[in-house]
Amino acid sequence: MKRLLPLLILLHSTAFAEDSGFVSIPDMSQLLYEGEALKAELPEDDLIDVQEVSYLRNKKASFCMRPTEMVDTIVIHHSETPATYTPEDINAYHLNRGSSSDPWYMIAYSFVINSPYEGMALPLPKASVGRPFEIVGAHAGSNIFVPMDAVQSKLWAAKKILCGKENQVPKFDSTLVKNKKIKANVTTIGVVINGNYAAYNGSINPGGYDPTVETRNPTADTIDMVARLSCQLQKKYPRIKSLAYHNQYHRTTCPGNFTNYMDTIQQKAKEYGCDFKLLSKRY
Amino acid sequence: MRFQIIIKTLLICFLSVSAFARSDKEMQELFEKYDEVTKYHNVELVEDVFTENFLAQNGGKEKFISKVKSVPKEKKKKGLGLLLNKWKKSKMGEFFSAKRDGDGEDEHSSRTEFIIKEEAGKLKIDGTISDG
Repeated sequence: MKRLLPLLILLHSTAFAEDSGFVSIPDMSQLLYEGEALKAELPEDDLIDVQEVSYLRNKKASFCMRPTEMVDTIVIHHSETPATYTPEDINAYHLNRGSSSDPWYMIAYSFVINSPYEGMALPLPKASVGRPFEIVGAHAGSNIFVPMDAVQSKLWAAKKILCGKENQVPKFDSTLVKNKKIKANVTTIGVVINGNYAAYNGSINPGGYDPTVETRNPTADTIDMVARLSCQLQKKYPRIKSLAYHNQYHRTTCPGNFTNYMDTIQQKAKEYGCDFKLLSKRY
Repeated sequence: MRFQIIIKTLLICFLSVSAFARSDKEMQELFEKYDEVTKYHNVELVEDVFTENFLAQNGGKEKFISKVKSVPKEKKKKGLGLLLNKWKKSKMGEFFSAKRDGDGEDEHSSRTEFIIKEEAGKLKIDGTISDG
């Protein structure tokens, strides 16, 4: 019987994990640690001040590294949370995603913008780094594939995109490409504006605004921040030429009313010396 | 002695399964109440379903109820199962997340991820987060 005890307990815990959806992790301090502040490598003639943030990361999670030349598109998101949530709050929620065998590494987005809704004073506007630019994000939908241009095809063929865990030798992952198309997360970066800019529509999105009495729009300052950040990124990484939003990749209400401001962001970015095209299709 | 060990082991297994089953049941009940509020306008359940923080973030209880009522009430359907897909406790233990698919056919009925917290010993919805 003593020999059977561990087996019984194991069987029990396994059944529990499958039934409830729990991830059974006994000691989180062994899994998560606070790394050094992640630095945004941006040009010195900054159009926008981007704050460094020290994020908890799951060292048991896999992630992929890419050459910066792979990235050609900025994808705009809203967090759907209250606007007052911090980048660290979003990171905590994203660390909870995935399965026990394939958890998320850290916050999905590369940049986080905090700003008030139109007509509100708080939160104070602030831009922060998220997931480092060179690490493939988790924001555009995990099974969305997009065409590659010549540069991206060449980098892919040269096996320049490598995946693995911290303190492991990274490996080439052939599943990132299917039918000569590559996962959208590899060629894009996510910029999230904290807040919920979508309307309430019943049982989906309970935190959305009531469209019968109000609307919820970004302020002119928020649009300006997105334009400045986008332009600054294009100056640092000239292959970034396109602006898009989450709903063009994945069926979602994200980013709510930001979809109405893509032209304005494009125009504003032009005033800062940048040239973006807007993605016109949906994948 | 062996008999005692067997009994103790079975008791531990039973108690822990019961504890987790209770949580499963609570989560199911929470989303049944959520549907009662958002689909069928049983707004007296609002404070049972949402945290104080959520209601405050949404302009207060009365404003939230007004928002709920701004959408036409749905007719109850027989035999419609819960659309709760899965849920789990956060690694730090301070919140739960639960996912469920939209039940509409329009393009916006996507999967929703709920953030759930314990308030006064009960599970309540504290908000949602975009499905990045």
